[in-house]
Order: sequence, then C-alpha cells, then structure tokens
Amino acid sequence: MINYKLHTLPNGLRVAASRDRNSKLAAVNLLYCVGARNEHPDHTGFAHLFEHLMFRGTRRIPDFDTPVQMACGENNAFTNNDYTDFYITLPTANVETALWLESDRMTGLRLTPRKFEAEKRVVIEEYNQRYLNQPYGDQMMLARALHYRVHPYRWATIGLTPDHVAAATIAEAEAFYRRYYRPSNAILSIVGDLEEERAFELAEKWFGGIADEQFVADTLPVEPEQTEARRLEVERDVPATAITITFPMGDRHSRDFYLLDLVSDLLAGGESARLYDELVRRRRLFGAVNAYITGDVDAGMFVMTGQVAAGVEVAEAEAALWDELHCLQTERVGDYELEKVRNKFEAGVLFGELNVMNKAMNLGYYSMLGTPELINGEVAIYRSISAEEIAEGCRRIFTPERSSTLIYRAANETK
Amino acid sequence: MKRNSLPRRPSIRIPERVDVPTARLATLGNGVRLYLLENHDQQVVRLSFVFGAGSSRQTALFSATSAANLLSEGSDRFTARQIAEQLDFYGSYFDIAVDRDMVVVSFCALSKFVMPTLQTAEEILLRPSFPQQEFDSYRIKRRQRLEIERRKVDVRVREAFAAAMFGADHPYGISAPESAYDELTRDDVVDFYRRHYTADNCYVVCSGDLSDEALAAIENICVQLPQSGERNELIFPAMVQTPRVRLEHAGAVQSAVRVGRMLFTRNHPDYVGMQVVATVLGGYFGSRLMRNLREERGYTYGVFAGMVNLDRAGYLAIATQVAEAAREDTLHQIYTEIERLRTEPISEQELSLVKNIMVGEMMRILDGPFGIVDVTIENVQCGTDNHAVERTVEAIRRCTPEDVQRLAEKYLRREDLVEVTVG
Repeated sequence: MINYKLHTLPNGLRVAASRDRNSKLAAVNLLYCVGARNEHPDHTGFAHLFEHLMFRGTRRIPDFDTPVQMACGENNAFTNNDYTDFYITLPTANVETALWLESDRMTGLRLTPRKFEAEKRVVIEEYNQRYLNQPYGDQMMLARALHYRVHPYRWATIGLTPDHVAAATIAEAEAFYRRYYRPSNAILSIVGDLEEERAFELAEKWFGGIADEQFVADTLPVEPEQTEARRLEVERDVPATAITITFPMGDRHSRDFYLLDLVSDLLAGGESARLYDELVRRRRLFGAVNAYITGDVDAGMFVMTGQVAAGVEVAEAEAALWDELHCLQTERVGDYELEKVRNKFEAGVLFGELNVMNKAMNLGYYSMLGTPELINGEVAIYRSISAEEIAEGCRRIFTPERSSTLIYRAANETK
Repeated sequence: MKRNSLPRRPSIRIPERVDVPTARLATLGNGVRLYLLENHDQQVVRLSFVFGAGSSRQTALFSATSAANLLSEGSDRFTARQIAEQLDFYGSYFDIAVDRDMVVVSFCALSKFVMPTLQTAEEILLRPSFPQQEFDSYRIKRRQRLEIERRKVDVRVREAFAAAMFGADHPYGISAPESAYDELTRDDVVDFYRRHYTADNCYVVCSGDLSDEALAAIENICVQLPQSGERNELIFPAMVQTPRVRLEHAGAVQSAVRVGRMLFTRNHPDYVGMQVVATVLGGYFGSRLMRNLREERGYTYGVFAGMVNLDRAGYLAIATQVAEAAREDTLHQIYTEIERLRTEPISEQELSLVKNIMVGEMMRILDGPFGIVDVTIENVQCGTDNHAVERTVEAIRRCTPEDVQRLAEKYLRREDLVEVTVG
C-alpha cells in the first residue's frame, strides 16, 4: 500500500508525492507521455534516440551525470511504446539537485551536430548488438508487424530499421523536444522522507517558472478488428525453431487486461505452471516456453511462445500450444490453481514497492494511465476475476481467426 | 518554451554516515548462527541460508554446483513439481547463488505466507532426495549450456583469468571440462550434500517482518541440521601465476580483455583504499577507463574495474570487450591509465566525486528491507559485523590524493599485473 498525494501546477505539470519515513534516499521520477507510439511510420526509433540526447548536456549544465554523482546519486532512463521515464535516486538532503537537473533539461537542452551524430551512432550500435546480431533478436519485431496493421505498436521502441535513426535530423529533434518535453505532458513523482506538501513546494520552485499551455494529445490510428488468421515463416541461424502465437486483447483499462494477465500466469507463471509442466517436463515438445501480455496502454498483445525441442515436428508442437488454449476454454480452472496466480500478483505488487525508486516509478506510471488510485487497487481486481469468467474470456479471445502465428525456423533444420 | 530564470544551483550535502542496523545474533544448540534484522515497515520477509559449500570445496568436479541446484528438485516427500508448486502458490521467491566459497539459498515471502514457505524450505534444505531422473536430465542440460556458454569470449576470459591468477589446478582457478559432467554421479552429489550442508558449516540471515512464530519455525529448521563431525578445513595448494595468456577464439567479433593484480582479502588495511583506486579507474560511468576507451576512442560499450573478493584471496580486475583491431591499443591505454594513477596525484574534485559515488552506492544497496541481508552476509563472511560499514565509510572519507597515488604505486606495478586476452 502506497500513501500518496497529487497536485497539478498551473502550467499543467502533474506531481505525485509519497512520504517514506524509513528511507534515507529520495527518488525523483520524471515521466514524459511520449513513446514510440508518437512516431511517424517513416521516422521510427525517434523517441528512444531522444531519450539518449537528454543526457547530452544543456546550455547551463554541460554534463548531466557529474552533478548527480557529486550528490551521491544515480540516474538512468528508459523508453517504451507509451512513455519515456527518467529517474534519479540520491540522499534526501540532495533532492533539489535532482529537481534542478530535471527542470533544467526540460527546456535547456543544447544539441550540437557533433553530439547528435555521435548519439545516433551509439543507438545504431545498440540496434545491431541487441536486435540484429543476437539469436532471436528480431523475433518480436516480426511478431509485432504481423499482429498490428495500422497502430504504431507495429514497431518496437528501437525502430523499424536503423536507417530511420541514421536519417534523423537535428531540426526534427528540436521539434520533437518542443512538442513533447513540457510540463503539461509530464508527470513528476517524488518519494522520500519529506512531507508531500514540501514536495509540491519544491516542484513549484523548480518547475513553476516554465510557462505552458494545455497539451493536445496525438490522435492514433485504431487497429481494425482482426477477422482472419495470419501466418509468417522466416528462416534464421538459430539453434531451435521458435513458434509465437499472438492474439489481440483489450487496452490497459479493460477487464480483459487483468483476465489475460492471470491466464498468462496460469500458462507460464513459474515452473509449476501449465506450459512448462505439460509441454517441457511431461511431453518434452519444447525446450523453453512462455506466455505474457505486452501490457501497453492501447489494445495490446497476448503472446504465447516456445522453442521447439530437437527432433519434434513443428506442427505437433504448434498443435500442443493450441491444446493448452482449448483446455482453458473447456475446463474450469480449479480453485487452488486460481488462488495460486492471484497470490502471485499480490506478492508481485508488494515486492515491487520495496524501495523509493520503485515507488516513484509506479506513481508516475499509474498517474500516466490517468488512474493513480489503481496503484493500490489492482490486487482486488485480480481477486475479483472468477474461473467462469476466465473460461468465457478464453473462448472469446483465443480463436483461430484472431491469431497471428510466426514460425521462426532454425536454418539448419530440415522440414 | 518560455521560462523564468532557473533558481540557483542547490548546495549538496554528503551524508556524514551510513546507518546500518546491526543484526541480533542467536547461536543455536548445534552451533548454527542466526542473524536477525527485524523490520516491520513492510509485510515481507527474506531469509538466506549460507553454507560453506562453494566449488572450492568439491573433490568431484561440478558436485558443488549440482548439489546446490538440485536441492529443490525433489525431496523425500515431494517431487520437483510439487516443490515448485508450493513456492509458486504463495508467490514466494526462491534463489540459489553458488560461488567458489559459498552457497546462499534465499527465500522471500509475504509475511502472511512465511509459514508455508518455511515448510517448503525445510524440505529443500533438510530432505533433498536428488532423484536419479532429475539428476540425469540436469547433467545433460548443464553440459549443453556450458558448451554454449564457452562459445562466448567473455566466459572464456573469465575462466582463463582465474587460471592465470591462481593456477589451473587451484580451487580458485580451476575450470572443469564439460566432459566432467559425464563422470559425475548422483553419489558424488549426495556425498557433497552430506558433508557440507551441516550445522557447523552454516549460518542464517533473516530480515523483514518476522513474527515469533516464524522465528521459532526458522530455528526449528536450523536445529535439525546435522553436525558433520569432520573439520572441513581445506588446505589450498600454492598459487601459480601466469603473467600473460593469449587465447584464440574462432569466429569472435570482439576480443575480451582482462588485466588484474593479486591483492588481499577485505580485512587488509589497504583494502578500502584499493577499492577507491579501482573505482577511479573503472568503477563508474564516467571513470577514467570509461572516458578513455568508450567516450574518446569508441572501442567498447563498457569497461569495468573492481575488487573481486574471495574468502582466502582478493584481487583487482579490469574487464572489457573491444573490437579485435582495438585490442592492443586497449591494453596500452589500460596500462597508461594505471601509470597515470601512479605518477600524477588525483585532483581533489575527482576524488570527492568517487567518494560520493561509493557512499551513495552503499545507501542504495541498503534501501528497502532485503539489501541488508547481502551486506550482513558479506560482513559475517569477513568475520566482522555491520559496524564494518561505518568503518568503511570513514575510511573512504579519509582517503587523500596522496593515499590513492601511494597505493597505486605500491600495488599496480606493471610487472605485477596479469594480462589475459581471448579472441
């Protein structure tokens, strides 16, 4: 349970604060509501590139890291399809150093051609290292592109191709900065041993002077209902063939989100879960299996994936994945098993809020969703979903005409 | 976007001290030491069982890691699946960490589910049955995994570096061939378990929201640990160092590089000072080697320097992976940076930056109810207690530019360094 208070500055900056009397540290999290979803299809990878640029110094403070480290702090950031998150932890007495740095780089970024080109190279290397030069590196990229036709979730945060990053210009970066990096599109969360009211005063002191008007969000294309099964086969130099089946699901606020999150845990939440127990341990059809939801803000993906064991026919392995889905549709989940996955969520929530950094990130995330109260309310939703509802949901969602199947075939294997 | 002038840069305060709770120690009848760090702020519990059962104690190769990893794969009463089921049911986390010296078996649970989690812990720790079938499939899986791992330059360099520092037959230097899995028997594993998972070879550290009932249950597990009756004091052979090793690696895109120096354990008076030296060199994002090799030359994504601590030895290691063409210049740059530490005093400003990073890092480890367990284990392992953290912080703060230069001069002479490259 996290106790928190909310406040909005006149310029639109949303502030969430939570006092933690036990910690000697404070966490400052600044979330900008911009991610790969806001990119143009011909200029993908831009939000992530821009996150890198935010560490390249401003007119007043040429080096971002040193003042953080001087204050005994540590900082980092990440970008996903929906948002970009910057965070700093440091001793509570130095919390203003974090606010000073963050407020400064909200308006004062100084991009030079040299820094810009250097950062593009770093990001292109990251693309090569993590997605192209890595076994199964492009598997989820392909699955996304198969699953989505129009919604920007069809590309990953890193972008559709390194060429998009290579082609990015400073003018675009400056326009992106002005459009998205501003108080009315951001959420500041502060957690540490300071009164919430004091946190709001500090937010006002450091961010109040930035004038802004109301942010008008981008309108994104809506993914049309899928009515036909989709299938893609590729060949790659990997040790084992991988099968991925995805299904469209509801958005982050839909009840299906919670339902399918539970289902993914019934299937793959630990070694006692169904896929591992049945398909790896008992039937020995797969070497590794997984099921998860992408958890995006807009309608997301339910993903089921596995690496086929040596000597097993791909068709047999694929059919076995469907067997598990049919079982969910036709047989009521037992009380014990349902209790298990509910308990797991409760534990996950508690383990996920043990330090100031996690709390600040969570406050930012739930505020971004527009439902901060869910930070303490989701365990109850998970507990409210019944076995009947799960079977009904699985019948509705896991149909062949709503499936997209990617066969990622090991090149040296004969069919 | 318009903004009024930014308020003045805030002043910073460096914490005078880092407060660490001391553990309450209870020694049980059979000698097991129980360290308790109660904290009822959050309704979670962590307990870690530490056994002197690391790989340096094994006679049959791979018997130490296999015994540790197979603890949860079946007990007298439950199958591997049932054990996994019991832990999953309560959302409890279970983790096994094995190194050269010790094995740490940890459980994290919601405090309301600590009792059933302890029942499973009892099965795992006291009654593992090492079923033949699980043992066989484990052996095959691990052998395959090791074969794949050893195709990576960073894994090979780690192994080759340990061998170069200690000698290929030394318990701290040895790397077993994959084929040793074929020779390993279930009896080797059972025998290793019997000899090392004993009361005289164990201590336990618990933190979080501990109830009296939970404490009694933890004690009840501990008192059932048998005494081995043997003194496990190992005699290590003398170390044999090889100063320079160069290995080829087919198809490598990058070369892995390690440079280091045998030093001392954490109790040595110069230990903290050398930690400062290592941090200056390569212990943080803006360190000298990072700036040189990554930011100025673009040879690598990252380079790291730090102290590696074992029970009976300790050394400094510098590690990086670079484009093959940059390998020789990388070594040259590493030696140049070391030489610079030996010949030029560090500025007060750079040194205070490093000190603040080290103090901040300590505070971050201690944030939340679980990190304290790791800190306590480290201190117990060194024969001290959590007051050691205060002394370390004081020693860091006392460190002067002269100290840094003196230590670098004393311990980082070119002729004392060991250099290993792969690829």
